Amino acid sequence: MRTVRDSRVQTALLVAVGAVLALAAMEAIGRFQLLGRGWPPLSQVLDILHTPATRTLLGRSLRTTADEAGLGLLIGALVSVVVAVLGTVLPVLQAGLDRLAAVLNAVPLIALGPLLIATVGREGSPAVIAALAVGFVMFVSTTSGLEAASTAHRDVLAALGASRTTTLLRLRLPAAVPMVLDGLTQAAPAAVLGAIVGEWFGAPSGLGLLLVSAMQNYQTELLWAAGLAAALLAIVSYAVLGTVRSLMAWRFR
Amino acid sequence: MSGSGAVLRRFLGALGTVFSRYWTVLALLLAWELWVRARHLNAIVVPAPYSVVSDVFDNPSAYAGPLGHTLLNSVVGLALGMVLGLWCAMAVWFSRMLSGLLTPLLLVMRSVPVVVMIPVVARVVGFGTPAVTTITTLVSFFPTFVMVLSGLRAAPTAMTDVFAVLGASRPMVLRRLLLPHAVPELLVALRLTAPSAVLAAMLAEYLLGRSGLGTLFADAVVFVAPQRAWGAALIATVVSVACFVAARGVERRYAGRFR
Amino acid sequence: MGKSAPASIPPTDPDTGGGPAGSTEEGTAPDPDADPRTESADAGSPRAALELSGVTKHFPLRRRNTVALDGVDLTVEQGEFVSLLGPSGCGKSTVLRLLAGLEEPTTGRVRVHDRPPAALVNDHRLGIAFQQHALLPWASIADNVALPFRVAGRPVDRARVTELLRLTGLEEFAEARPRQLSGGMRQRAAIARALALNPEVLLLDEPFGSLDAVTRRRLNFELARIWSEQRITTLLVTHDVEEAVLLANRVVVLTGRPGRVRHVEHIDLPRPRGGRLTREPRFHEVVDRLTALLDGDLASRAGADEGATAQTGRRWLRRRGR
Repeated sequence: MRTVRDSRVQTALLVAVGAVLALAAMEAIGRFQLLGRGWPPLSQVLDILHTPATRTLLGRSLRTTADEAGLGLLIGALVSVVVAVLGTVLPVLQAGLDRLAAVLNAVPLIALGPLLIATVGREGSPAVIAALAVGFVMFVSTTSGLEAASTAHRDVLAALGASRTTTLLRLRLPAAVPMVLDGLTQAAPAAVLGAIVGEWFGAPSGLGLLLVSAMQNYQTELLWAAGLAAALLAIVSYAVLGTVRSLMAWRFR
Repeated sequence: MSGSGAVLRRFLGALGTVFSRYWTVLALLLAWELWVRARHLNAIVVPAPYSVVSDVFDNPSAYAGPLGHTLLNSVVGLALGMVLGLWCAMAVWFSRMLSGLLTPLLLVMRSVPVVVMIPVVARVVGFGTPAVTTITTLVSFFPTFVMVLSGLRAAPTAMTDVFAVLGASRPMVLRRLLLPHAVPELLVALRLTAPSAVLAAMLAEYLLGRSGLGTLFADAVVFVAPQRAWGAALIATVVSVACFVAARGVERRYAGRFR
Repeated sequence: MGKSAPASIPPTDPDTGGGPAGSTEEGTAPDPDADPRTESADAGSPRAALELSGVTKHFPLRRRNTVALDGVDLTVEQGEFVSLLGPSGCGKSTVLRLLAGLEEPTTGRVRVHDRPPAALVNDHRLGIAFQQHALLPWASIADNVALPFRVAGRPVDRARVTELLRLTGLEEFAEARPRQLSGGMRQRAAIARALALNPEVLLLDEPFGSLDAVTRRRLNFELARIWSEQRITTLLVTHDVEEAVLLANRVVVLTGRPGRVRHVEHIDLPRPRGGRLTREPRFHEVVDRLTALLDGDLASRAGADEGATAQTGRRWLRRRGR
C-alpha cells in the first residue's frame, strides 16, 4: 500500500518535472536558436502580452474563434444526434446515413470553402465547418451509443410489450448518454480545428486569420502567441467537457 | 440464356446493394445538380457536379502531377510519423521515467489539433515541402504512438508471466511478445491516420505549398476556375476514401492473425 | 483425534522415514487449529526442490491490505508431484506465483533448489503453464513449443520439439496456429512448451481449468503418463479434487482467506494411474474425504476428521511412538 502511494507520488513528480522540462525546452530552443529564428523563446512570446494592443487583438481573436467553435459544436452535435436517432427509428435509412457520414468526413474541409462562402458567407463558414468537423465524431458515437443497451434490457422491455418509442426514450437514449458525452469530449478539439480552418478562407477575424497573417508578415512572436491561444482553447474545451462527462456519465452506466 | 439471366440478376443485385448503401450520397449529388440547373446559378459560385467530373476526365494531366506530389508528401509523412511513433512508444514502454516525463506533452497533444499549427510549423521548418512533410508526420505520429503504446501495455498477463518465468530479458519480451501483440494497434493507427495524412497534406499545401492538390485548389480559387478547384477536392476525397478502404482491408486481413 | 487431525504431516512417505522432527517456528502466527509445523524440518536438505517457510503475502487493495497467504509452509521433494488444492481465492495461485518468482513474499522465505526462484528463472530451468494457454497466436504450434529455446538465446533443438509434439499428441498440428486447435490441444501445446528445456521444476496453474469435464479427464490421464516418463518435480494448482488425487504423490489442502495449509494427504495409489483407478472405491474414498474437507471449514469438519483416520491415525501413532 505504501509502495503504491509512493509510486503514485513518484509519477506525479515525474509529470510535474516533465511539464517544467517541456516549457524549459521551449525556452531554450528559442534562446539558443536551435531551430532557427522561427522558434522564439517562450518568454519573448509571453512578453508581447504586455502590449495592450496585442493583448486586445489576441483576446478578440480568441473570443471570435471560441464563439464559432462553440456554435459549431452545438449545431454539429444537435444535427448528428437527431440524424443518428432518425437512423435508429427508421432502420431503412441507417446504411445510407452511415455512408453519407463517412463520405462527408472524407471531403477535405478546405474543399467546402468556396461553397460555404457562396452560401453562408465568410463570417458564417467557420461555424459551419466546425459543425461538419464535429458531425462525424458525434454521429458515430451516438449511433454506437444507441446500440449500447444490452440485449437483456431490450428483451425485458420487449417482454413488457413496450413500444418502439418507449424503448427509445426509456432505454436506448439513456444508455447512449455516456458515449454521446465521450463523443462530445472528442469533438471539442475538432470544433476548434474546424473553426480555425474555416477562418483560413478569408474570415474577417479570429485566431485562424491571426495565424496566417502573422505567418505571412513574419511576426514570429504573434504567430506563436496565436498558436498557443489555439492550443489553450482546445485543451480547455477538452478538459471542461471531459470533466462534465466524468461527472455525469456514472449515472447512466 | 439462363446463364446470362443469372449474371444480369447478380449485377442488378449488386447494384441494389450499392444503391441501398449509397443512396444518400447519390441523392445529395442529384439534388445539387438539379439545384444548380434550376436556379441557373453562375458556375463561378457553384459548379454542377457533372461539369466537375467532366473537367477531371477531360484534363487528367492537369491533375496527375499535383496528385502525385500530394501522395508522395502523405506517404513520406505517414511512414515517418508511424516509424517515429513506434520508436517513441517502445522508448516510453522501456522507461517509466520517460513515460512520466512525457505525460504532459501527450495530454497536450491529445487535445490540440496539429493541423491548426501549420502556420507555426511552416515558420519554424520553412515554407513548402518541409512544412508539408512535417505536418503529415505529426498527424500520423500521435495516433501511432498512443495506439502502439496501449498495445504494448495490453499484453495478457498470462503471456507476460510465461515470458518472465522463461527468464526472458526485456528486449526479448518486446521482440517476441509485445511488438507482435501490438501489430493490430499499429494497423488501427494506419486506418486512422492514412486518410487524415492525405487531407492534412492537402491543407498544408493549400496554405503554403508550391505543389500538390492543395496548391492546385488554391490557384484555381485565385484564378476563378471553380471546376478545377472542385475537381481537386473531388480527387482528394476519393484518395482519402481509398486510403481508408485500403487500410481497413489490410487491418481486416492481418489483424486477426495477431490475436 | 479431535482438532489436531487435519494438519500437516511429513512430506516424505511414512514408510521410508523422514518423520516429524523439531519444528522451526519463525514467529508467524499460525492457524490456532493447525498443529505445530513438522514438515519443514528438512529445510535445506538436498532433496527439497521447492520450499516455502513461514510465507505470508499481503496485497494492497484500495485502502485495505488483503492477506492472501498467512504462515504457509510447504516443501516439495525432488521428483515429487504435489497438488495444491483449495477453493477459488484461497491464494493457491499465489503460492505458485511466488515459486515462479512472479511475486515476492511479504514475509517468509521461498526457495527453489535452495536458491531464490529468480536464479532458476535466469537459468531457464523452470517450466510453467496457466489456465489461459498463453500461446502466441501469430506463431505455429511448433514455434510456440520452441519459444523457450529462443527466449534463452539457444539454437532451437528441432528433435526435442518434435519429441514433445509426439509426447503430447500434436505431431500433425506442428504447423497449425493456436486458433485452429481445440481448447484441449492448446493446453497440451502449452504443457509441451513448459517442458521444452527439460525444466527441473514444472509449475501448473489450473492448466485444464477452462476445459470441459471429458477433455479435462483425458488430459489428466495424459499428464499422468507424461509425468511418469519424465518424473519432473511438479506443483499443480487446482480446485478439482479428482484431478489433484489422480496426479499427485501428495495433496496439500489450503483453506481460503487467508490461505493456510489445512491438511496434507499422501496418495499411495499405484501408478500408472488410469481410467480404471478412478472407478475404484479406494480412489473415491480419498476424493470424498478431501471434498468434504473443501466443502466447508465448520460444517464438515467432523466428517473430514472421520474420513482422515487412515492417514492421520498412522501419523498420530508414530508421534506417540516417539
